[in-house]
Parts: sequence; C-alpha cells; structure tokens
Amino acid sequence: MAATSNATMTAAVPTTASHAKMRNSLWWDAFRRLKKNKVAVASFFVICVYVLIALGAKLGLLFPDVAIGSPSMQYLPWSWEHPFGTDVLGRDVLARAVHGTATALSVGLISSGISLVIGLTLGALAGYYGKWVDGLIVWLYTTIDSIPYILLIPALTFVLGRGLINVYIAVGVTSWVTLCRLIRGEFMKHKDRDYVMAAKVIGASDVRKIFRHILPNVTHLAFVQFGLGFVAAIKIEVILSYLGLGVDPSTPSWGIMLDDSKLELSRPFWGNLAAATIFMFGLILSFNLFNDALRDSLDPKLKNK
Amino acid sequence: MFNASFKKLTTSLLALAAFALITQGCTKKVSDTDTTLNIVVRANIKGLDPVRANDLYSSMAIANIFESLLQYNYLKRPFTLEPSLAESMPVASADGLTHTFKIKKGVKFQDNAAFKDGKGRELTAQDFIYSWKRLADPKTASEGFWIFDGKIKGMAEWIEAMKAGKATYDTPIEGLTAPDANTLVIKLTGPYYQLYDVLAMPFSAVVPKEAVDKYGQEFLNNPVGTGPFMLKSAGDWVRNSKMTLVKNPTWRGQAFPTEGEATDKANGFLEDAGKPLPFAEKVVFTELVEDTPRWQNAVKGNFDYVEIPNDVFDKAIDPADRTKLSKELTDKGMKLSITTSPDVTYTGFNMKDPILGKSKELRQAMSLAQDGATLIAKFYNGRGIVAQGPIPPGFPSYDANFKNPYSTHDIAKAKALLAKAGYPEGKGLPEFTLDTLADSKARQQAEFFVQNQAAIGIKVRISANTWPQFQEKIKTGKVQLFGIAWNADYPDPQNFFQLFYSKNMSPGPNDSSFSNAEFDKLYEQSLKMAPGDARNAVYQKMRDVVVEEAPWIFGAHRLGYRAIHGWVHNMKWNDIQNDFPKYIRIDAKQRAELSKKL
Repeated sequence: MAATSNATMTAAVPTTASHAKMRNSLWWDAFRRLKKNKVAVASFFVICVYVLIALGAKLGLLFPDVAIGSPSMQYLPWSWEHPFGTDVLGRDVLARAVHGTATALSVGLISSGISLVIGLTLGALAGYYGKWVDGLIVWLYTTIDSIPYILLIPALTFVLGRGLINVYIAVGVTSWVTLCRLIRGEFMKHKDRDYVMAAKVIGASDVRKIFRHILPNVTHLAFVQFGLGFVAAIKIEVILSYLGLGVDPSTPSWGIMLDDSKLELSRPFWGNLAAATIFMFGLILSFNLFNDALRDSLDPKLKNK
Repeated sequence: MFNASFKKLTTSLLALAAFALITQGCTKKVSDTDTTLNIVVRANIKGLDPVRANDLYSSMAIANIFESLLQYNYLKRPFTLEPSLAESMPVASADGLTHTFKIKKGVKFQDNAAFKDGKGRELTAQDFIYSWKRLADPKTASEGFWIFDGKIKGMAEWIEAMKAGKATYDTPIEGLTAPDANTLVIKLTGPYYQLYDVLAMPFSAVVPKEAVDKYGQEFLNNPVGTGPFMLKSAGDWVRNSKMTLVKNPTWRGQAFPTEGEATDKANGFLEDAGKPLPFAEKVVFTELVEDTPRWQNAVKGNFDYVEIPNDVFDKAIDPADRTKLSKELTDKGMKLSITTSPDVTYTGFNMKDPILGKSKELRQAMSLAQDGATLIAKFYNGRGIVAQGPIPPGFPSYDANFKNPYSTHDIAKAKALLAKAGYPEGKGLPEFTLDTLADSKARQQAEFFVQNQAAIGIKVRISANTWPQFQEKIKTGKVQLFGIAWNADYPDPQNFFQLFYSKNMSPGPNDSSFSNAEFDKLYEQSLKMAPGDARNAVYQKMRDVVVEEAPWIFGAHRLGYRAIHGWVHNMKWNDIQNDFPKYIRIDAKQRAELSKKL
C-alpha cells in the first residue's frame, strides 16, 4: 500500500531533477502492465496487421491494379481468386477493401493528428493563462461543440469541396474539443503545483513551463484521446463517403463500398457489404479494446487492479 | 462509445423486426368500391405552382390541377395536339404571326376560399393574359419563362417597364389581347412554330388572380386551377410524404378519345372510348426516394404501377423473353409496359476548355473510347439504345438507319485519332475532371467513364457534386467534362438543337458552350420553317454537324420499363404530357380480387 501511494506521488508529481527517469518509469510501468493484458496484445497485433496491409497497398505491393477491372467480370460470385467477388465495374472487392484500409488509416492518423495539435495547444494556453485567453478558447470550443458534428462536418466539406485532404481537415478541425477541455482542466490543476512554482522561482519562461514541465505530465491523456479520435475519424470518413460527401470517388473507401452495396442488396450481391463491414469491424474493435487497455494501464490509480 | 452504438443497433434491429411482424401479420383488406389511383414518385414534389413546374414530379402533380389551352391526344402517336381549354384549334394568320384562340365557355375555376362565397368563377381570356404576365414578371423569376422569351410582341418592353417600376399587370402587352371574354389573340415577333407545343406545357397553364393575390408565395401549397383533380386543403399534402387529390366536381368534362394508333384497339386502349373522364375519385401521390421500398410496396399492391428499379430488374423480368415480366409477377396479374423516353444522356465537353475545345480529334477519340453498349447493359440493364445523335426515336427527323461514326466502341480508331490530335497514347494531356452528381448511380457511371478513357491512355478524375453545385458549375463554365441528360419538353427536335445554338450559351441551355457558324445558320433557318419534310432535312443536317464536331459524347436513349397491376386500365405511358391520371380507370372489384394473391 505504501509503495503504491509512493509511486503515485512520484508519477504525478515528478521533480525537475529526476524528470527524465520518472517519466520513463511511468511509461515503462504502463508498458509492462499492457504486455500482461492478453486482449491488448492481440488487439495491438491486429492493428499492426492493418498497418502492414495499408503500407503494402500504398507501396504497391498488395493489389497494385485496384482500379483496373474488366466490364465482362461484373458481379462475379466469391471464389479463391476473388474472395469477396467483383463489383459493378468488375474490380476485385477484396482489393478495394485493402486499399480502403489505407484511406481509413490515413484519415485516422492525420485527422486525429490535427485535432491533437489544436487540442493540446489551445487546452494548454487556456489552462495555463486563464483570464481572457481562457474565456476566448472556452467560447470557441463551446460554440463548435454546440453544433452537431453530423451537420458541421458535411457543411465544412461543402465549403472545402470533396477529397481526401479536405476530409482530413474537416474532421481534424472539428474533433479537438474533448481533448482541449481535458488538457485545460489538467493545466489548471498543475499550474499552481510545487514543481511548477519551483520552475518559476528559478526563472523558467512560460514556454518552458508549459512544454517542458507541465505537458509531459498530461501526455497520457492526449495519448488515450488520440486513440479515441482515431476511431471516430475512421467512422466519420466512412459516413461521409457513404453520403457522397467524403473522399472523391477515385479513392477507394469503405464508405463508397457501402454506398455501392446499397444498390446491390436486392440483386443480391453481398461482397461490398461483407468486405467493408468485416474490415471496419476488425479495425474499430481492436482499436477500441487496445484503447481501453491503454487507458487503464496509464492510469496510476488502477495500477494494482 | 461502442456500447452506445451497439444499443442503438439493437434498438433499430428490434424496430425492424417489429415492423416486419406488423407488415406480414395483418391480412390486407382492399375495398371493392374504391377507385383511388395510387401513384408513387421517386423524387419529392417541390410545389404546385405552374410557373414552378420545372421538374418531372412537380409537373406531374400540377398537370392534374391546372390546364393549358392545348393538350396532346392521349392515344395518338406521333403526338398530336388537340384543344384543352381552347374551344377548337387556333386560327393562324397567313404570315403565321397572329394566332386567335376561342376559349371554352362555362369553364369554372375550382371552388376555393379565394373566390366570393368560395365558389369558383368562370374562366375568361383575361385570365390567360394575367397568367402569362405572371410567368414573364421578373419578380416571379420563373424557370419556364423561356417559352415566351422574345416571342410575344411587346412583352420584352413590358418586362423592362416592370423592372423600372413603370408598369403594372394592368399595363397592356401589344401581343396579348382579349377582344371579348372568350377570344384570345396572340401576336408574335417572328415565326415560332413551337408556340402550340409550349401552350400545352404546364408553364402556360391558367391561374386565377384572386388565388394568387390571396395566397401570395403560399400559392405553391394552395393551388387553384381548372383541372380534373384538386387539392382540397393544404393539409392534404404532407411534404416529402403524400399528396391526396380529389375529383373536381365542377370540372368542364372530357370524353375518352375514340381513336388512336393502329395497335391501340388490340392493346385494349379503346375499351373506354367516349366515356366521361375522369374515372378515379382520388389520386394519391406517394413520395418515396429509395428504390427498394418503392418496388416492394408496389408489388404488394400499395401502388398501381411502378418503374422497375435497376437492382430488381433481373428478378422482375422473364429471363427467356426480356419483354415480359417474370412468372412470379405475371401470376399476380401484372403487365409490363416498355416505352422509349424522349431523352438523351450524354457527357458534355466544355468547348471553352483550352485543350478539349480546341481539338475535334481528341473529342472524337474520347467518344470512340466509350463503350456505350456495355454502359447500357451494365447501368440500365439493357434498358436503352446507344444514342447516335441528340434526337430520340419517335421524334420527327429521327432516322433509325443513321450510324454515328464516333458512337461505336473502337479502341484502335480512338488511338489513331488521339495520335492525330497530337497526343499519342494520351501523352501530353493533363488529367481531366469529370463533374457528376454525388449519388451512387451517377458515381458508378462516372467510374465506368474513367475506366473507358483509361483504355486509350486518357486520365480522368471524378468530382462529385450536389445538384445545385453541379448546376452552378455548369452555368458558370467551371467544368471540363460533365455527365448529364436532356429530357424533351415537347416533341420537336428543336428542343434538343437549342442546346447547341451559340446564342444559348451558358448560362443559357447550351451547357457545352458549343459555337459553330454553320450550325447557327441552319438552326436559324429551321426556326422559320413549318413542320414537315423540308424542316426535317434541315434537322438532319444540323445533327450531322453536331456529330462531326462532337461537343457531346452521346450516351443512351433510355427505355422506360413499368410494371402495371392488372386492375389498371388505359395506361398508355407517355413522357411528354403528365395529365394521364384522368384517363386511367381502376377496376375496384378486380383490385380486391387480385390483391388476395399479393
């Protein structure tokens, strides 16, 4: 018991001198616990497979001829050569799903990257400076948060036009609110703590205090939030593309496959629906499970549970 | 997050299951006296004001409530005009510039609170003058004003004066006069042989001033016309859902035509010859945008006929004989109707584009790269014929033997032409952009276009738009290639050729901004010619210019396939005029009988 509370103390309130070592120990600790969690390891493995698939597709190793189909091969049923059959243009559905993985992962990575940068920066500024800076940023995120995302994001894609880059931006600039709010709260809590006071006494600048001292103590939150944002971004991309507002039709996307399947269900052709759903299910489930495990292992209060 | 969406999924699955139980659980009781005609439309009806009759489904509803001076004979083909609100066909002066109409006596507007005591008053010639002034009024901003634009003497001056605030609806227009209550005289600025055609369109329908004054903008939801059916109260139309029209008790009356095409008798279209119209007590329009529920409801008998959607087509049609319905549907007493639509689908080039507009060979090559036959087989289930030019079958001057040299699928010839244009194997060409609509079908067709062009080395990317965005881009010339279709307003090829006339360039209807001196000369000549062989010869010359210059890649003339229930009589489909509900007879007893099998 004593050891636990001691570790909590050191993890949450590191001194400037032993900063590097302590940070390492928090992450190392988390990693050790994560490793013991079988579900987490399995999920991580699945995610790695997805990443490899996406890389393989992007580098032209897997199904390099995704766009090519032959009209005579329309709606072939499943076979060993085409496990999910072929679509309306005679393209292999599995190839489309594989290339859709690259699209989905890139949207997840870049969009949540954008929202991470915005959320962290604004949250840190609002929490650290308070006063009118805080007022302004809180006003901004409450305004954004008050508009349902399902309206806000399509509205943005209307303004920006369609395309992968615009999806990155639209999702990125609208999904930073939760992170910003969390970080702001943490900064308010931390800015008057002793270690920050100590930094102030020795004459550290604001920038140094924010980025060198406080930020490392709240990154675990950002980490978890990044994972959640990642999954949300993938889902939003699929919804947007399904509605015809997402990536342009030349980019393979699970959303477009689902849109195609809408016209094919009464045929019946299940390839597009099955492939897109299975690929999405695998990725989103393993990401969510991994996220849960990651959050638990990064939370010092849950350490011995 | 996962839990929440799982819960939602379970709820919706439960709801779905419950719905399935309800729909399967109850046996349908169909009345054997109800003669309601149930129509399902695939897009939402926008409004019921004739000056807004710009889309198919709105005009369909409008054509039941409002009437024009003329109409097309229900049975005769090619389409033949006959009087509607006019007493007889108009009398034209020798120079063709003055047309005198006698208007039927005793025609009454539908009863409405807009009139004194709520009783519709009698129609006069002045009502037409008012209605057409309203169509021309710049404040109305009607999409249908083109039917009179620059054609009627003194109308342009009246519009200018209206804009300057110097005129009112009481200011006379020289070309529109009413010597007495039942005589209307139209004076034209020049020959306009399409005048009678446009006087059969809903845009030219007559509306009462009292109702427009009373309802203002809301006239759209409170229509008052002279037609066979009426919207009794604004509440009978729930937008995006359902509209109920009832028989107009004060309608002028009309008898079912007694003669038609040679085949009409054999097809049973003359069974009701001479009987008074309309047959149906009520007409119900249901708006259902999604294909699957529309089809399934229709097969269950909730709608009297339905267009066969692409995805059920193979199941709905007899595999051995593709002009018949499948056994399952035939057993239910359903019949198939196949008609040629008066339309053409095409991919237009923006002729102002510095590359596409400059090279005829490039455009011809791209036209040859298109596999029209596969396009039709794949996306229309074979329901279409490869278009050889802009004129659809059944129109004057259409020549079934004419073959467009660039409408075949010939990769070798396409590559040769591409090389001749200076772009061997597509080298030196940038990636072109094809604009299209964002819906699933338009996107798939665009992807097929990309696949076709890739075969000769031309790269195309797709830009998908909403309909307003798409229109805006075309009208402002911000497109390179665009996939669209044109549906005829009236059965005269001029309606297609106006799309190539240089003075109609975007934002006019000439979306390709095609400009060709020879074509313009022929077009202007054809406008001055009366219908007949001489004019048809000019039309064919115009077609040849368009085919050679290739401002469009011609797609298909589509065929309409409709499955019609056995209890529906007199359904002879036409895509030109939408007033068919008054001719349809529903046999209520037969419906009650056949419904038991559904």
